[in-house]
Amino acid sequence: MMTQRFHAICWSLLAVFAAALAGCVEAESEPPKFRLNMTQVTANQLVPAHQQAIADILDAMFGTPDKPFALPETGLDLRKLKMAAGPVWSDQAGGKHGLYRRHCAHCHGISGAGDGPTAMIVNPYPRDYRPGVYKFKSTFNPNEPTDEDLHHTLMDGVPGTAMPAFSVLPPDEVAALLEYVKYLSMRGQMESLLVEFIVNNLDYDPVTEKGSPLDLVNDPDQREEVMALLADDVVAKWQAEGQVVVVPDESAIPPNDRNAAELAASVKAGNVLFYGTKANCVKCHGPTGLGDGQQDDYDIWSKADRQFMLDTDALADSIKTDTASLAELDGEAWDAANAELDAKKRALVERREVAAGLLPPRNAIPRNLRTNMFRGGRRPLDIYRRIHQGIAGTPMPAGGPAVPGAQGTLTEQEMWQIVDYIRSLPFEPASQPQERPLNSEAVVY
Amino acid sequence: MNRFWSLVFLLVPVLGVATFVVAPYYHHWFPRDISEHGRVIDQLFMFILWLTGVVFIATEGALFYFMWKYNASNNREPVKFSHGSHTLEVVWTILPTVTLLFIAIYQMNAWADAKMRKPDVPITAEITGRQFNWDVRYPGADGELYTPDDVFRYDGMIHLPAHEEVLLLIKSSDVLHSFFLPNLRMKQDVVPGMGQNMWFKAKDTGEFDIVCAELCGWGHYKMKGRVTFESRVDYNAWLQRMYDEQEAKTVAMTPEE
Repeated sequence: MMTQRFHAICWSLLAVFAAALAGCVEAESEPPKFRLNMTQVTANQLVPAHQQAIADILDAMFGTPDKPFALPETGLDLRKLKMAAGPVWSDQAGGKHGLYRRHCAHCHGISGAGDGPTAMIVNPYPRDYRPGVYKFKSTFNPNEPTDEDLHHTLMDGVPGTAMPAFSVLPPDEVAALLEYVKYLSMRGQMESLLVEFIVNNLDYDPVTEKGSPLDLVNDPDQREEVMALLADDVVAKWQAEGQVVVVPDESAIPPNDRNAAELAASVKAGNVLFYGTKANCVKCHGPTGLGDGQQDDYDIWSKADRQFMLDTDALADSIKTDTASLAELDGEAWDAANAELDAKKRALVERREVAAGLLPPRNAIPRNLRTNMFRGGRRPLDIYRRIHQGIAGTPMPAGGPAVPGAQGTLTEQEMWQIVDYIRSLPFEPASQPQERPLNSEAVVY
Repeated sequence: MNRFWSLVFLLVPVLGVATFVVAPYYHHWFPRDISEHGRVIDQLFMFILWLTGVVFIATEGALFYFMWKYNASNNREPVKFSHGSHTLEVVWTILPTVTLLFIAIYQMNAWADAKMRKPDVPITAEITGRQFNWDVRYPGADGELYTPDDVFRYDGMIHLPAHEEVLLLIKSSDVLHSFFLPNLRMKQDVVPGMGQNMWFKAKDTGEFDIVCAELCGWGHYKMKGRVTFESRVDYNAWLQRMYDEQEAKTVAMTPEE
């Protein structure tokens, strides 16, 4: 009796293990896919046929998460991409595969949309690579970052965020990840261009099948146009010729051997600029420099999601008013209005579905300048570049010229004075760790 | 089948002991010890391992013997229970008590050296655990923390001087972490809001592992780093180089690695 029951328990345990094992194998069998940017697709009301066309073109241009591909004109190194892509495994020699999924995907997501499973529990949210906009870089604001900029972020992480340093990885693995990030950005940028292309150029109606569909295989003109978009509006931006690095004017750089009085004078001038209307740092970073000024703005990534949510709410409202006004109509007018209302309702269902998957938009909180934490680097050069070009994608504006050679709001000298002031802020007595009060006892642990 | 189960249970001590015997040959043993105090800690470990090992083998042997001898299918006689051997109870209470007390007293000095007798030296570096990185702040040339010449590093590659007493201040900026230097036999939990100290003396130069030894979140496994011990001269030169890099105002002054 006892033995029978014991055997029954053993067998059922074995069955559970077998089921679990089968589950694992099955879970592996479906390879992950790149997903379209549904906010973009839905906001532009692309029909399924167009969505499929975009997905197909992107697959042909960039491959899949397991089998990446790069056209030679992208300049991407396919060998590096293959090292970074695919499922996580290690070969017998200890070589690591699937680096992106091993290290990055849980935050940045398979498609690089910053929507991995852990994205919602980190603040700030992980970067969405798809627009190709990066905050911490040496280039002019609208330019893409250089390889060195991305390398710096990978090696040092982003202090004050959940982005760690990957400096313990071998250099070839870091290089592979860097290439893959660029690849995801290029793919995302191409996707946006294709959406734009359809919206602006195609008159295709999938119901009547009239007009010209997006079909690069059978339409060489379209093919040429799209390839030109890839070359001019994507690839060129990632090549050194398309990027202008911010180089400080040698004559305005403060010398290293300034004495205390000179430094103090520069800090003082920076202080005046900080609070003045010209630089107006105080507007966002606040009168205390704690980042407690204007805090209700958004960065572009949150702004896009937020706009989508607001538009969805507006659509819901308009459905309400349309339903109310429907009662006043009859006959053909009613039919037409009702058909329109149905279309709106379908659109609302789609939009709500997409909106439910978005991360809740968060305000862009200006940096607290007293914590001695500079996310994009603490070198005077880094801070200078932040002031010179602002921070792309955020409300932080550029103080320097928008394009090389133009006239900026601030002069070189003024920017360096602000740099000096910013660098002095964490060392003002108010920012320092407080001494233990004299009448208290030290606690020994 | 008669004595199948007693043999199965004999596998526990046999495999248990075999694991310990074989492990060092496959390098699944202690990482190289480069600290001054590590010898004491390793000796304590080995002492306790041998002590518990002998007791383990004896106990498991006795268990096996009884299972083998009093197997139900070979013993038809009813079981006899014995109760209340005063002497036996006193012996098996006093023996472990004395042993445990001995271990407690014997290790006291090692514990005090590692956790209580903080050396009177300035802080070499402040290390802050952050989900999921080790951020380091070195006092600059003036040797004092929280001054404008402090050097900040975020790349998880810590440098420290060898052959001298190193005092670290360890903090957390978010949750519990644990700063673990396996090659120095040092591990310190990091508690948010508390400054912890850790001190040691490395007797060798080279690059060694840093790991986070407290599950601190989903990125816990990312909190790996490397610590480089180098001579005071090299260390000072490195610190100066890092300072110069941190002060860079021109593009030319920032050679990218």
